[in-house]
Amino acid sequence: MRLKALLFAACLSPAVAIYSDEVNHVDFHHALLGTPSPDSTFFLKPSTASNASLLYTLSDKLLVGAVNPRDGALVWRQNLSRSADSPARGAGLLRGLDGNDALVGAAGNCISSWSAQDGKLGWERRFTEGVVADIELLELEDATATSGVRDTIAVVGSDGVGIVRRLEGATGKTVWEYKDTSGDVPFQVSSSSTEVFYISLQSAMLKGYKIKITALDPLTGRQTRQQVLNTDTDVTTPESVLYVGANSASPLIAWTDKSQKSLKVNVIGTKEVTSIAIDNVSGSEIRQITVHAPNKLNSLPHFLVHFVTDAGAWAEVYHVDLKSSKVSNAYRLPYLQGQSVVSTSAIDANVYFTRITEAEAIVVSSASHGVLARWDLQTPPSEVALHSVSEVVAKGKSLAVRSALFREHGDWQLVRNGQIEWTRHEGLIDAVAATWAETDFQEDLAHELEVEGHETLYGAYLHRVKRHARDLQHLPDWLKGLPRRILSSILTDEVSNLDSFGIAKPVIIATKNGRVHALNTGKHGAVSWSVQVTDTTQWDVKAILSSPGAVTIHPSDGSSVTLDILTGEILSRTEPSGSTLHTIAVLATQDGASLTTAGIGADGAPATALVKENGILVTTSADGRVLGWISEDNKAPVWEFVPPSGQKVIKATARPAHDPVASIGKVLGNRSVLYKYLNSNLALITAVDAKAKTASFYLLDGVSGKVLHATTQTGVDSTQPIASVVSENWLAYSFWGDVTTDESSAKGYQLVVSELYESPLPNDRGALDSASNYSSVDTLPLPHVISQAFMIPEPISHMAVTQTRQGITTRQLLCTLPSSNSIVGIPRPVLDPRRPVDRDPTAAEAEEGLFRYTPFLEFDGKWYLSHARDVAGIKEVLSSPTLLESTSLILAYGNDIYGTRATPSQAFDVLGKSFSKLQLVLTVVALGAGVAVLAPMTRRKQVNALWKA
Amino acid sequence: MQFSLSAIVLLGISSLVSASLTITIPSSGPLPNPHVLPATSHATLTTLPSSAKDHILSASLTRAATFVFDLPTSATAESYLLDIRSAGGYVFAPYRVDVAADGSVLGIWETFRGNPWDNRGAEKYVVDVAGKKPDDVVVEAKVVGRKAFYEERAKFSPLSLVKNPMVLLAVVALGLMFVMPKLMENMDPEMRAEFEQHSRSSPITGATSNAMAGGGFDLAGWMAGTTAPSPAANDAPQSGASGRDTSGSTRRRG
Repeated sequence: MRLKALLFAACLSPAVAIYSDEVNHVDFHHALLGTPSPDSTFFLKPSTASNASLLYTLSDKLLVGAVNPRDGALVWRQNLSRSADSPARGAGLLRGLDGNDALVGAAGNCISSWSAQDGKLGWERRFTEGVVADIELLELEDATATSGVRDTIAVVGSDGVGIVRRLEGATGKTVWEYKDTSGDVPFQVSSSSTEVFYISLQSAMLKGYKIKITALDPLTGRQTRQQVLNTDTDVTTPESVLYVGANSASPLIAWTDKSQKSLKVNVIGTKEVTSIAIDNVSGSEIRQITVHAPNKLNSLPHFLVHFVTDAGAWAEVYHVDLKSSKVSNAYRLPYLQGQSVVSTSAIDANVYFTRITEAEAIVVSSASHGVLARWDLQTPPSEVALHSVSEVVAKGKSLAVRSALFREHGDWQLVRNGQIEWTRHEGLIDAVAATWAETDFQEDLAHELEVEGHETLYGAYLHRVKRHARDLQHLPDWLKGLPRRILSSILTDEVSNLDSFGIAKPVIIATKNGRVHALNTGKHGAVSWSVQVTDTTQWDVKAILSSPGAVTIHPSDGSSVTLDILTGEILSRTEPSGSTLHTIAVLATQDGASLTTAGIGADGAPATALVKENGILVTTSADGRVLGWISEDNKAPVWEFVPPSGQKVIKATARPAHDPVASIGKVLGNRSVLYKYLNSNLALITAVDAKAKTASFYLLDGVSGKVLHATTQTGVDSTQPIASVVSENWLAYSFWGDVTTDESSAKGYQLVVSELYESPLPNDRGALDSASNYSSVDTLPLPHVISQAFMIPEPISHMAVTQTRQGITTRQLLCTLPSSNSIVGIPRPVLDPRRPVDRDPTAAEAEEGLFRYTPFLEFDGKWYLSHARDVAGIKEVLSSPTLLESTSLILAYGNDIYGTRATPSQAFDVLGKSFSKLQLVLTVVALGAGVAVLAPMTRRKQVNALWKA
Repeated sequence: MQFSLSAIVLLGISSLVSASLTITIPSSGPLPNPHVLPATSHATLTTLPSSAKDHILSASLTRAATFVFDLPTSATAESYLLDIRSAGGYVFAPYRVDVAADGSVLGIWETFRGNPWDNRGAEKYVVDVAGKKPDDVVVEAKVVGRKAFYEERAKFSPLSLVKNPMVLLAVVALGLMFVMPKLMENMDPEMRAEFEQHSRSSPITGATSNAMAGGGFDLAGWMAGTTAPSPAANDAPQSGASGRDTSGSTRRRG
């Protein structure tokens, strides 16, 4: 019997697994990093053994990532903010050196070293003294160096105290420490081939800062000399210093005067400040000045200053004389209209500058102004490039260059010799709302059919004949495409093109920075268009509604914007209502044909009175009350639910809008029926008490506010995610449950499932019996609740349920697992609370599909919808039905974007890949051949038999 | 190289903090080379906070395939659940880690999910009460297995075709068709005459010959067991010709 149960469990699990050849076919994944920070992005060769380089970056989300420059695929990524206590000051820092298999990143008070090749941790240091102001890798190798991993110089600063530490490359151990208690602002660290420089900002007498440079001995950390540069109050904030070089034969520090008339350059270690007059050829105001210099010890001491105005840009190249530390102008890259970005790269001692403008990419040597290579850009860029990094490779006599450009609005592009190789849509990381768009390809037909329905018999007939005659014009095209279609349908993997079944619906994603993207799910989630809707950094989208051919986005300010789903064109806008909305409820009208919205304020009251068709509305207020509203009244709630004192409402969930119930009862093994408690107005309220360490779950009736079921779990950590979901006649929630006074209590994450039935007895409908109507207000019978808890190995941060068209397909509980970066779909039969406890199932129970209860529920590998993918930072998982009953669309967003299809009861209405049309054709042909061979034989035999007879 | 590096890592860390816990991953059946673990693998120590201090400690996988925790001091002794999670589908056994208020490890045991917390398994480490408390505790993780994410697609193989009962039936039928006439030829004439008589009395062969002769065979009548007024049935020795009779006569012959 136990074997049977095991067997059942075994045959249950494959129902949802994905075939390895379906990966990238049914699913798509955007593994995102965020906006790469300009000074922590670089090409690097992680190993001296190989010439291959990777593109490394640290993003504004403090994610360190390595990207393969060949195809833009993510090699590895790590989150720096996970280990930092205090939030980082500005962006984090990331440093690396060619041939050094360690990247050092800093965020907040934490410095960590990561293997450049595979992203594994080398060491991690947390400082209690303050936040890390700057880090630099020492390129020079001295006698103390123990291994191939270079040491790090770090500046840790808090108010008035700056500490410079040399950390050993392999272990992170402090080699020496220099403490500066003079009260200066710790600023940067730099190094030349012989010295380490600590640069701090000394408050000047009147205002602004003076730059103080302390030279330290790299071996002992002892101060060798100190200089204070006179800045003439040019430096007012730490941001006014344009550039501090490091790891260079002549590290530089550069700033400008306030009027941006002259550039001040100092070779660190010398006292002299060279003032260079800026020759503003454009005549317009300079918007941005950036300094680009190589950061390799053996590179030529040349640097480039890039000047950007609103209309165009130019650059000046300067040379530094190593002996005299004099800075001289070498040549100029001419002023060009339009945007341009410049980046530096070095081959041995030679320094190359790559300039990419709207029309072309050029490479010049730092030594002379001759253009070494030029490529015309094939496709004119749509967005302004903000910054770039380049890698120049000498191929014989010619040069090849690849540049990673970051464009405004979040596209990260690799341009190789003028050709765009790949684009990463890093802007999608800020997704706040998403939906599937409804294409309107059948809208015309529906409209025509409507016309026919309203005409006279004769008129409708004529109309129809005309429609079919019109359709005939597509016949030649259809016939032309027929052979190709037959051939391709036999040869290709996808047996039937499922696009017309609503499988390949476009996905519309709204991001926090006011942008709307459309992803083509049929083409691996490629971005088909993206549009800037508003200029904001905090676009708080509360609801996104799709109607055939258009989507409407409702942000919290009460405005709305409608976009065309095919082009992204803005069709209409409404103005903000003035009041900030807490949430926006999406309501279906009575006939279910269209959706409307209702804004809810922070006090839980609807901003406008509901119309009658909307029925009821359950809201939560900011102060933790749950309110019930009825149509045409937005002043006084019909009911109010306040949890017991000490408890705080943290979440309210309801049944999904589309939640069809295929069967009102559950047929038991003995052919009797347990009737499901089906109430479309269920609301599950989660309330936590942080002090008593409890979590309470209240199931309310949305019309009357009556508590249908309440349960309290003890030993709950309210700081960990508590996810909950309601569907059909069941609900589920998960939490961290700890040891309580109860001796048998366990420690770990728990998942609780409750099913609601009308009565504990089979074939009994309880108090309502065969009544066709019931009232929530008068005598609403309480459900019979059967619950079961499971220990699960991981926390669940979000729960959802698969939705199919008619709800016949088994449901899956979609759980987001934040600690293993995956999404798992647990089949509902596994979570059946009626599984027999401490005994094997009886024959009747086994027939029902019940198997023995085990307290620990290990997630089977085959349940993982995200299979081996690393789907990080998911905040929300959506599910949508398709025209195929077997298939449900899944979309997860938050950090990464992940889309897939779920078939909880296997793809029973689709011919899968295992169905070979070719095999079918061959079988028919073989049978035909067999008949052709055997027919004459049989005929001959019959004739012979007749003669014999 | 890797291991000497790990030794340095351990030394370096232990000299910096009061106490640390290092979990090493031995090579085992499901995981022969622990260095193949993806970089996102991490270990967590979780408990319900007694105070507002850190109660979820997380450690990333190091280059030496270890996880290193710096244990914080707290007001009271804490009992942590140690989980190791890896993206490659490797499943690790959970441990119970008891940490004293000063941040030193009191004991580490295997634990069983879905069992009471006091139900401890194999002991991995326990503090020596008499001796000096070590700064760094090193325990080995236990790999339990590996999850299979993918469904194997049934591959086409000729052997599976042979195993198919339908195909087997067809092959046997074909074989009989070609072999039977040969057998008949090898039979001695007397036996063949007898056999032919029997087979002629059999309704099916009779039917075929009838069909060839142009006569209609009453299939429904034959199935109903009635004596069809067919010429073949008239020849039969028994009036109630049926399949059972035929088989009976064959048996008699054998």
